[in-house]
Amino acid sequence: MKKNELRRLRASWLGAALLLLWTPQPYADETCMSPYMAKIVGQEDFVYVWTLGVEGLGDEQDKLVTIDVRPESDTYGEVVNTLSVGGRNEAHHSGLTDDRRFLWASGLDTSKIFIFDVHSDAGKPKLVKTIDDFVEKSGGVVGPHTNYALPGRMILTGLSNSADHGGRTALVEYTNAGDYVTTHWMPTDDNLQGAMKSGNFADGYGYDVRVLPRRNVMITSSFTGWNNYMMNLGTLMADAEAMQRFGNTIVVWDLHTRKPRKILDVPGAPLEIRCAWGPRSNYCFTSTALTSKIWLIYEDDNGEWQAKAVADIGDASLIPLPVDISIAADDRHLWVNTWNDGMTRLFDISNPHAPVQVKEEKIGAQVNMVSQSWDGERLYYTSSLLANWDKVEALEGEDLQYFKAYAWSDGALEHAFTIDFLAEKLGTPHQMRFGAYSLYGQ
Amino acid sequence: MVSSFSPDQRMGLLPVLLLSTLPLMAAPQQQPHHEPTSKPQILAPGYSALEFVAPEAGSYTLPSLGDAANGALIDSSGKTVALHDLFDGKTIVLSFIYTSCPDINGCPLATFVLGQVQERLAADELTRSNVRLMSISFDPANDTPDVMDDYGRSFRRGGVDWRFLTAASDHELNPILDAYDQFVIRDRGPDGKTLTTMSHILRVYLIDADKRIRNVYSPSYLHPDILYADIRTVLQSN
Repeated sequence: MKKNELRRLRASWLGAALLLLWTPQPYADETCMSPYMAKIVGQEDFVYVWTLGVEGLGDEQDKLVTIDVRPESDTYGEVVNTLSVGGRNEAHHSGLTDDRRFLWASGLDTSKIFIFDVHSDAGKPKLVKTIDDFVEKSGGVVGPHTNYALPGRMILTGLSNSADHGGRTALVEYTNAGDYVTTHWMPTDDNLQGAMKSGNFADGYGYDVRVLPRRNVMITSSFTGWNNYMMNLGTLMADAEAMQRFGNTIVVWDLHTRKPRKILDVPGAPLEIRCAWGPRSNYCFTSTALTSKIWLIYEDDNGEWQAKAVADIGDASLIPLPVDISIAADDRHLWVNTWNDGMTRLFDISNPHAPVQVKEEKIGAQVNMVSQSWDGERLYYTSSLLANWDKVEALEGEDLQYFKAYAWSDGALEHAFTIDFLAEKLGTPHQMRFGAYSLYGQ
Repeated sequence: MVSSFSPDQRMGLLPVLLLSTLPLMAAPQQQPHHEPTSKPQILAPGYSALEFVAPEAGSYTLPSLGDAANGALIDSSGKTVALHDLFDGKTIVLSFIYTSCPDINGCPLATFVLGQVQERLAADELTRSNVRLMSISFDPANDTPDVMDDYGRSFRRGGVDWRFLTAASDHELNPILDAYDQFVIRDRGPDGKTLTTMSHILRVYLIDADKRIRNVYSPSYLHPDILYADIRTVLQSN
């Protein structure tokens, strides 16, 4: 796809526009962010890529990489800014504050959180604060993962704890200014905290968080602890005991009181959570990394929250390893990436209880994150999963560590451009977030 | 347990807000940062019955989000006042607005919700005497003390203490907005000229008697049932 073709996708004179209102319309946000957040409703200007530093490559540091995605720009498809943070932290996920002025990006190894000002100059973020006492302040939470906007504050999921570096962990709240507020430990068999254990598990593990404010519901998923996610993948998979230490639960919380209500069995490490946007769509999806299934988390006719597997993702025996998922604007499609085979798959979820795969396409030797624009017409992919899990070589013709842009048009993914993060000596790219000048009246 | 408002209770104020908003909403060039106005306007949850039962006051905690900042303001009589003096040991609901705001899900939502909460506060001596509502304009050039006084008269009911405030200038106001993380942009038209409208994140703050922020509300979160439950939760913790 050429620049001219992408230009026709550009929105009206408004360009990227800030939607400051409450937004109940069934739009997907870009890359499925918090419903409390201001939205870019037109063409995004920049994609911020939180990137892992690699020993022996470039400056070897984790960095925020800013890519120009304005089709009319002279620097379209190019890296226009990099901001290194002074070391390697196992850079992983990032998220914007509800006013979209600051981007929080965290490291799973060091538990540091880097706060970038993205509003003063959207094309040139500034590092304004580093939180380096997350473990101490939170009471022993390790591995800040999801950085998620709530009104006037951020909530972060942990992956681990400082006592045994296993999977038991907590949610941690901060003000938008980066001041610690409180910690909510995940319910366990030892302390259910009033939650109903509906199945076999109450493991206390954490991974992602999403909310459905209409239903006063917050949902968390579960992955594994520092001992596992920092281990070499081959070593880990050969360690039968370690492979037992993955999360098997989804927890449904009371959003307002932050109290856990119900623990649902979802075996096999349920990762990303994406909730539907329709005004009567009381459900969310997740995918399980180890069992390769799509699960539906839904409120039944009696107002009870339930979980059930609703589709297979590829051939589970080949360990495709589902990673990021992204729900489309109208709640009718779900993009599902599988890291191990480098595939992106599109499921028709018009009937959320029976998703049907309608497309699959190879993106690279490995693929992790997928972010789609507000209108669903542009998709961006990155490749890196974890420093010690990533592949180190690719087959001839396959990209290994990359950022790729596509247009989604007439049922086809049209490749726009690729940035080879290894060739550019940037590192390995992970989480993407969008920026735009017009968000800030610029 | 707090019950939801009936539609009849809501409609007392809502038509006024809609009428005052529609003329500006019909002029797309005056709101370049908003959705096209040809789409039907969908009201924020705060205008409707809550879709779940609000939590029982005192059954949960609201940890401090930090100290509420001070600053110099002007009350509706024209007198200069310190924000902290106005807190006066009470539980405060503080809202930033501007009176010509055309966004039905913006400032009018905040004033509507405070109005609804005001009715509940009025019904209980404990809350009536220990809670103060504050609406602060971030448009000091247009929202003079007289304008705020007129605006406030339309909403004050039942002996509840509801202050309508402005600032002497942007110079006095901006440090307060910064301290409360209240982001405001003066809108500009396609020709670059400044418009009368502003883009902003709606924020309402709940502040306890020790001047600590205990909750922050935005359009999809602000609701009379929730705010009232939170007020009573803070009063109990005081």
